[in-house]
Amino acid sequence: MTNTHSDIAARRRSTEFHLVLMAGIITAGAYTLASLGQNSVIPPRILPFLAALLLVLMSAHIGVRWLAHGADSTLLPVATLLNGIGYVMIARLSERLAGLQTTWTFVGVAAFIGVLLVIQRVNDLARYKWTFFFIGAGLLLLPMVPGFGFSSGGARIWVSIGPINFQPGEFAKIALALFIAGYLADNRELIATGTWKVGRFYLPEPRHLLPLLAAWGFSVVVMVGQKDLGSSLLFFTLFIVMVWVATEKTSFLVIGLGLFATGATAAYFMFDHVQTRVAIWLDPWSRYDGKGYQIAQAMYALGSGGVGGTGLGLGDPTRIPEAKNDFIFAAIGEELGLFGSTAILIAFLLMIGAGLRTAMRTTRPFEKLLAVGLTTILGMQAFIIIGGVIRVVPLTGITLPFVSYGGSSLVANYVLLALLIRVSDSSARRLGEIADSATFSERFATRLAQRRVKKHPEELEAMS
Amino acid sequence: MNLRIRRLAVVLIVLYAILFAQLNFIQVGKKSTLDADARNTRQTVRDFNDPRGDIRTSDGVVIATSVRNEPGSEFDWQRTYPEGDLYSAITGYFTFGYGATQIEKVQNDVLAGRTIEQQIKGFRSLFNGRDTTGTVETTIDADIQQAAKAALGNREGSVVVIEPATGAVKAMWSWPSYDTNLVAVQDNELADDVLNYLGEIPGKPLLANAYQERYMPGSTFKVITTAAALDDDLITKESTWADENEFLPPQTIDPIQNYRNKICGGDLPEVFRRSCNTPFARTAIELGPEKMVAAAERFGIGQEIPFDLPRSASSQFGDVDYFKQNLPLLGIGGFGQGNTQMVPLHIAMVAASIAHGGVMMKPFVVGATYDHDGGVLQRTAPTVWKTPMTPSTASLLTELMVGVVNEGTAACCMSLANGVQAAAKTGTAQLNATGEPERSHAWILAFAPAEAPKYAIVVMLKGTTAEISEGTGGTLAGPVAKKVLDIALAQ
Repeated sequence: MTNTHSDIAARRRSTEFHLVLMAGIITAGAYTLASLGQNSVIPPRILPFLAALLLVLMSAHIGVRWLAHGADSTLLPVATLLNGIGYVMIARLSERLAGLQTTWTFVGVAAFIGVLLVIQRVNDLARYKWTFFFIGAGLLLLPMVPGFGFSSGGARIWVSIGPINFQPGEFAKIALALFIAGYLADNRELIATGTWKVGRFYLPEPRHLLPLLAAWGFSVVVMVGQKDLGSSLLFFTLFIVMVWVATEKTSFLVIGLGLFATGATAAYFMFDHVQTRVAIWLDPWSRYDGKGYQIAQAMYALGSGGVGGTGLGLGDPTRIPEAKNDFIFAAIGEELGLFGSTAILIAFLLMIGAGLRTAMRTTRPFEKLLAVGLTTILGMQAFIIIGGVIRVVPLTGITLPFVSYGGSSLVANYVLLALLIRVSDSSARRLGEIADSATFSERFATRLAQRRVKKHPEELEAMS
Repeated sequence: MNLRIRRLAVVLIVLYAILFAQLNFIQVGKKSTLDADARNTRQTVRDFNDPRGDIRTSDGVVIATSVRNEPGSEFDWQRTYPEGDLYSAITGYFTFGYGATQIEKVQNDVLAGRTIEQQIKGFRSLFNGRDTTGTVETTIDADIQQAAKAALGNREGSVVVIEPATGAVKAMWSWPSYDTNLVAVQDNELADDVLNYLGEIPGKPLLANAYQERYMPGSTFKVITTAAALDDDLITKESTWADENEFLPPQTIDPIQNYRNKICGGDLPEVFRRSCNTPFARTAIELGPEKMVAAAERFGIGQEIPFDLPRSASSQFGDVDYFKQNLPLLGIGGFGQGNTQMVPLHIAMVAASIAHGGVMMKPFVVGATYDHDGGVLQRTAPTVWKTPMTPSTASLLTELMVGVVNEGTAACCMSLANGVQAAAKTGTAQLNATGEPERSHAWILAFAPAEAPKYAIVVMLKGTTAEISEGTGGTLAGPVAKKVLDIALAQ
């Protein structure tokens, strides 16, 4: 370890500290302004809010400083900024939900630190790819289990265990990304080469492709069965992107897009709710009194926001159904205007940039593919829901990562963020930017072994 | 794999660029279309849900206020008008689905606390949570307004009282009127029904006939013809006209007649107080189209009245080319018949300008606006609009109008309480053609006290069916003006 190298990491952590602090200042300012706009008073709970905000931001930052010293410096600040803006918007929409979202944020940050603590050698995860496969599959199936699963808002994606309700799909996407990354890291060459000759074409042998196709088909079928089109679109994209990046074969991309087109067309003719979604995408106003109402209200909200926005607390976002959730982007666009909505887009682009940069820096295929997969989930999920709200693509209800209200979504995204940061830190170690010191568990194992050697020196002798 | 990752980055950037382009399209490109969409109620709901300041009279009577609805109502506030129909033409209404009118419309920013001054002053309220709404104080005097309503009774018409020196409107009453509370209801469909009904029934209560309609002025217009001829030195107080019952103007074989074809003539004070027609027809034709039209323009006829309430009507006289082709019409226009049309408010302004030494002030009903703490936001400064006549002409006209009250067409009914001397001119605008049942607008314009005028007034009774003579205006409108002036001057 040289000074120069540890300087790089220290600089990153110092940058991160300042950026996190800035995200905190923006959040606190926005929170105050929203209350001023709404009730013309400094928020009565400003002090507890500031304390909680500081606690969340600093524990996340110290977590990274302690457990992933060499990681990228922008991922955490941007995520906390999105979380903060989302929180302000939720608090402005409903005080009750704001309380819950505070709890979820604490749980999310705890999960973030937990993941960093438990998973210190990210490459170890590749060994558990089949475990992740079954975890993912199980999570996806869980809502279909009678007694556990229940429907809300037309989609059967909820699970109720005791007092806790959650959406397992949010976690399944991470598990599947881990599985696909692990599987492709081992088999990508076999798949890419194609040794199975069919007519004039060389195709990958079915036994190499099968597990992948199974994972993908499984998730898509389950998702369509649960009427969760957004997630199914997300899984599909995740799958195609990862196979394409892993095999470097454009043919997979073409085949994937072909499959997608076929699937989308079939879904359109098979399911009424898909047809409705397309109809309200093309013309929400013709169904204003029905399903088009939500999108029409989102359009009015965005329009009334204009360039500068109505100002926090001064708009009327409660008129948009589900403004706290899928449509939070429209609420932000109303009160913060084109400036605010563009800032959200830029925030996601920054996270995508940081995620893909991490993928390119690391040399290990598993880490590369994992970073690509996680970044794709984040970037595409935001694109699908924002695009749905502003009528770029048909609306499919999924959450806006870090911004929307919801415990499952927030915790899952913090887990995802922790994994990305872990990959980033891991490549920094490998590049020698920080010392590759032993992890806690490694040190613990070493100490155990030393103690054993001290107690029973004869074992060592026996081994030699 | 890095090449593919780079391409993936490019694809994602393109996707986000599409989102950005669409955001621009919605939030900038289509903003005005979206805001204007009939189903988009965001702005009205915002206004409707906010507290809103009071409108009150100059003597402190609250004529529009917002009261908090019971919890659980669709809207937090309900706009109410404690005086019912008495001020509907001044406050206007404030509805959820049908916008606002009159002061509720033009002073919306003050009432809602949205002017820049209020926003800045209201900064303190950030910390104490008080509302920032403003109050509008009208120039209306509640007693005079009430007197105008009582005096007019259930006859169609209007009463306007102006302070000559400032142009402040002290009373403005039109009948039919309507109860503003019936329109400012939460139930949008009910409001729609009420507005449709009010728009369809005769008398058009939604249009304040005091300033949103115009009528044939009859002999009240003679003050304008007289002022024009005096200022041109065409006539003097000593001018005389021969006795005649009719006068044959150029370009026609149809003579102009006096009321009931009476023989009428004499010097200026006599023809003025007896309200002969032929002398004024002759005078108008002798002055000629250019000078008559110029005089009408000096009085602001044909121009928008610079009133601080929206959609006031304009008076009309005619243009030079038209009168050159139709000299007989210029003649009858000289005594307020034919195509001449005057807004009652405008006639009141004419009376006020005579009372104010020939200077016509801009009329206004918003006296001052206040912020929530009672600090003045804006106080209306009296402003000169027109100088239609010289001071000497104004004082001679006053003398002529005193004659009308003492021994002329208003002698019946304009002797005010406590011996206060009034000056007046009556008018009877014949609406029917010869041989049809008689219909007329009865007018009086007046001011008092004649030597130091405090109030100028116009009373117009629309479409009365009384027998038409030169005295009709005085006998019908005179008593109304007297009652109102007596109460105003008693203060």
